[in-house]
Amino acid sequence: MRIYVAKRLLLIIPTLLGAAALVFVIMRVIPGDVALLIFGGDAGGNIDPKQLAAMRHRLGLDQPLWMQFGTWLWGVVRFDFGTSLWTGRPVIEELLIRLPLSLELAIAATVVSVIIAIPFGMLAAIRQDTWVDYLVRIVSIGGLAIPSFWVGILCILMLVIFFGWGPPLEFTPPWVDPWANFQMMIWPIVTVGYRYSAVTTRMTRSTMLEVLREDYIRTAWAKGLRERAVVVRHALKNSMLPVITLVGTEFAFLIGGLVVTETVFTLNGVGRFVVDAVAHRDYPVVQALIFLIAFGFVVVNLLVDLTYAWFDPRIRYR
Amino acid sequence: MPVGCRYCSNRTLFIVAALVVALATPAAVPAADTPRQGGILLAVIGADPPSLDPHQESTFATMQLVAPLYSTLLQTDPYAYPKIIGDVASEWKISPDGLTYTFKIRPGIRFHDGAPLTATDVKATYDKIVTPPEAARSVRKNAYVAVTSVEAPDASTVVFKLKFPSASLLENLASPWNVIYPKKYLDKDPNYFKNNVMGSGPFKFKNYTRGATFEGERNPDYFVKDRPYLNGYKFFISPETSVRAAAIRSGRAYIEFRDLPNAEVDAIKKQLRDKVAVQQTPMTGQFGIAINNTVKPFTDPRVRKALTLGFDRYTGGKVLFTLTGLRDVGALLRPGTEWALPDAELVKLPGFGRDMERNRTEARKLLAEAGYPNGFKVVLKNRNVKLPYQDLAVFAIQEWRKIGVEADHRPLETAAWFADGRDTGSFELIIAPTVEASDDPDVFLRRYTTGDPENWGRFSSPAIDDLFARQSRALDHAERRKLVQQLQKVVLENVYYMPGLWWTRNVVHWTKVKNYVAPPNHYSNQKLQDVWLSED
Amino acid sequence: MATNLEVAHATASAELAPRLSVAAAVAKFARTKPLGAIGAVIILIMLVLAAFAEVLAPFDPYHGDYGLQFARPSAEHWFGTDEFGRDVLSRIMYGARIALFVGFTASLTGCTLGALLGVISAYWGGKVDLLLERLMDILLAFPQLILALAIASILGPAVQNVVIAISIPVIPRVARVIRSAAMSVKENVYVEAVQALGASRPRVILQHIIPNVAAPYIIMVTAQLGAAILAEAALSYLGLGAAEPTPSWGLMLSGSAPSYAEKAPWIALFPGIAISLGVFGFNLFGDSLRDALDPKLRGR
Repeated sequence: MRIYVAKRLLLIIPTLLGAAALVFVIMRVIPGDVALLIFGGDAGGNIDPKQLAAMRHRLGLDQPLWMQFGTWLWGVVRFDFGTSLWTGRPVIEELLIRLPLSLELAIAATVVSVIIAIPFGMLAAIRQDTWVDYLVRIVSIGGLAIPSFWVGILCILMLVIFFGWGPPLEFTPPWVDPWANFQMMIWPIVTVGYRYSAVTTRMTRSTMLEVLREDYIRTAWAKGLRERAVVVRHALKNSMLPVITLVGTEFAFLIGGLVVTETVFTLNGVGRFVVDAVAHRDYPVVQALIFLIAFGFVVVNLLVDLTYAWFDPRIRYR
Repeated sequence: MPVGCRYCSNRTLFIVAALVVALATPAAVPAADTPRQGGILLAVIGADPPSLDPHQESTFATMQLVAPLYSTLLQTDPYAYPKIIGDVASEWKISPDGLTYTFKIRPGIRFHDGAPLTATDVKATYDKIVTPPEAARSVRKNAYVAVTSVEAPDASTVVFKLKFPSASLLENLASPWNVIYPKKYLDKDPNYFKNNVMGSGPFKFKNYTRGATFEGERNPDYFVKDRPYLNGYKFFISPETSVRAAAIRSGRAYIEFRDLPNAEVDAIKKQLRDKVAVQQTPMTGQFGIAINNTVKPFTDPRVRKALTLGFDRYTGGKVLFTLTGLRDVGALLRPGTEWALPDAELVKLPGFGRDMERNRTEARKLLAEAGYPNGFKVVLKNRNVKLPYQDLAVFAIQEWRKIGVEADHRPLETAAWFADGRDTGSFELIIAPTVEASDDPDVFLRRYTTGDPENWGRFSSPAIDDLFARQSRALDHAERRKLVQQLQKVVLENVYYMPGLWWTRNVVHWTKVKNYVAPPNHYSNQKLQDVWLSED
Repeated sequence: MATNLEVAHATASAELAPRLSVAAAVAKFARTKPLGAIGAVIILIMLVLAAFAEVLAPFDPYHGDYGLQFARPSAEHWFGTDEFGRDVLSRIMYGARIALFVGFTASLTGCTLGALLGVISAYWGGKVDLLLERLMDILLAFPQLILALAIASILGPAVQNVVIAISIPVIPRVARVIRSAAMSVKENVYVEAVQALGASRPRVILQHIIPNVAAPYIIMVTAQLGAAILAEAALSYLGLGAAEPTPSWGLMLSGSAPSYAEKAPWIALFPGIAISLGVFGFNLFGDSLRDALDPKLRGR
């Protein structure tokens, strides 16, 4: 086990370096020059090339690419992600403003999705190919089929049209004012949670189906135990592992994929921050955020795999 | 609003070139209930500012957020656009030859850090605008080509010296963009104000979170007594039009200062009835299409002419008004103002005739003559901003299809728009609005002169250059009008640029927001010093 | 594991099955998987709409009838007209074309590339495997939307660029699944036997491994089809998809459509239903196909 963990930890390094290098290259390849943008503002026009060069120098963009990358990496090692080219504030500071919102959304949505998924997934499995099964599948597949931004827009519109009520426009952390937080966050959480529950419901259903066919469950049936006891005690316990994996992986993807939700509900989260930074060619911010998102992704995945390995020793030898 | 005549009276005084003394109080404060102190004005806005320095920006996103934090030398009367009144200047004199402007600075004005605002700060500010240091940009420096020097002979006097008389200097000095900065900070870093605020306005900067909120709080030491009424203001930033409209409907915000589309306005009015008021104003802004005169096939004036002939402005005004507020057909200066081309002359220009069938026939004939009997394909680049940019593009594309021109619409995000579109000239056609803070011809027409940074179409016409220079110096009003109208005709006859439609906007606010008069642009009158809330 | 081959042949999309007549296979699928059959019908309808849009659509999707802005659904305009007076039904029909184009090209490109890399990774093993695996890790960890943003910035917003943006993130996900499937095939006795007999590498891959990973491949393709259509809609919403006036479903329900939600709800409602229904069809079909192809779930 220890060797497995060490190996996995080592493998993180090339992944993160690769992601960092990739974002570095992408940001330099896309058209649009941050110096030009900073000068151009909204007015554009003929800008003195001398001024542009001076600005590039000031931002350190006139150095060769590998040197810029090296400087940046050295900063990361010292936990210094640089400062935003636009606001002039440290990237970490900017990130900390937005992280609580995105984390709350991701965690709460995952919890909601599990709360929906596990009972319904089980139900569908036990009643496979009956109307209950069909209904659960239709509803869960529906969750995957309806564009989440559309649901979000409709949700806000309905609230305002029928109740003249709209969610607050500014994020309040739950530890400051839980009620204000709830009023704002409940809508995106439910929207995202429902959507993600679809995947988990399907997974729960199919793993349950597998387990229900195992011999020991049949034995339990044969012993005449009450149905619920059978299912809960034996089947559920044994079918949870793949589900946990899936939930973990989905959670990892979720962190990087909240942009649309944050845009629809006007939430000032990490996702919108990245998109805004890309639009403004704010290189340090994009690089830091992609690096950290990739880091989060890798860590969550590692945790998931380790849990899996812990429960299922066969994995280690693969 | 009696736009034209106020303008004239002001101007006549000026032309007499006698001693002009203006009082710094607004002309006509609308009689209303007794103003109430307190409350935070909650507003919504559609974008984050590119930077906080109005000298370097020209977007409402910068202006609306920071205007309450600053003072300007002069300003347009909040209640009577375009009348000019003082702000930090209490009075001013213009020499009979029109070459020397002397301003008296009000005593006792303090910046938010407690330092006094003196003539030196005004001079430092205008030096930065007129002759910017290498590291900083000045978007509007071309408006001050007439200015030789700005001097501060003593703490309360500022003198502008001119090379030649300027018909528009006062308008330009009243521009809301020219906020006054303390010299101390400018000396340290001319770009300091891109990310920081230090002004002398009715409100003090409190907090800005990119993508979320911008807040200001009451400045208790503001130089106008008993102002501002509000304890503060707060903008919520959301790029989604429907979200901003919903915020107003649910009472989470009280006002949208820029514009909401008519469909949203109708819905808001239906739900909130007399709790909301809508101020629909014409805009000192027009959305049109810039044609790159340096690329084929647009080097051929016949092709350019065909494009404008194939664009049905009159129908466009009806179709687009409900969608985005683009309505009035006009030339290069706002219809209804004294500078506008009269209708009788307008309809004679290509694309402005009312018989659309004849226009289209002529367009097809011109295209055939130019060697494109079956039309051609072209790329129309645009910003990826829905209103009104994209709606105008959709309409134009539909119109051009009727004369065989197939335009491929390519909306670009802002960075690409600058780098791979408008600014570098790598385009055939772009949607190019002209929106300014005043109706002044100097401000509006400079972009049609040779080599101007905003001459997106990259054309050059000695006739235009000459007419522009002459109107700019013409102190005689009638003469200036003649020159201005002539200039517009030259642009339109040669179709160097293709004007589309003039904009109107809807400023929607709860009626509890008092004393806000929407001017005909979304830059002026944003100081909020007189605005008050009748309830929270 | 030898059953894999059997599985792929016996139950893979029924048309492929050699032992059953096509009609019989379809009938069996419809009987045992009614939800899948519903999905198939929805897909079929979409295909017909897309293929015959010119004939079926009552109006030119690009033509704005200015006299008829915001017209309610009527006998003439079944789904009403939009803000420019364009027929919503016709635009949805032409939109099916774009949705299907994006769906099929993006999922086929992504899945095929992913499958190829997965097979290579599994078969060559060693350093190649290690390298490809790391590459896939990087792509997985990289947020999809940033990739799409970058591609839209570089290539401009257009349907074919959307396809690229959507298919790239599919690659690592598919590569992983196919790799593990190919691994298990590779370890099979009979593949080892074939190799011992001196079969060339490409031949082994072509004749023995590819057929065996066909089932997971088909499952992945159908699963990604719906996802790709949705991704196109999301990108359009963020202004990175097709440009106006292209009749793209995603575009039709974003932009100013929400502003007209009260004045003319049909503008955003019908395209939204079209997307949901289309994706729903693909997902239903894919789900049932997976049930049918997954050996563990068969023959309950």
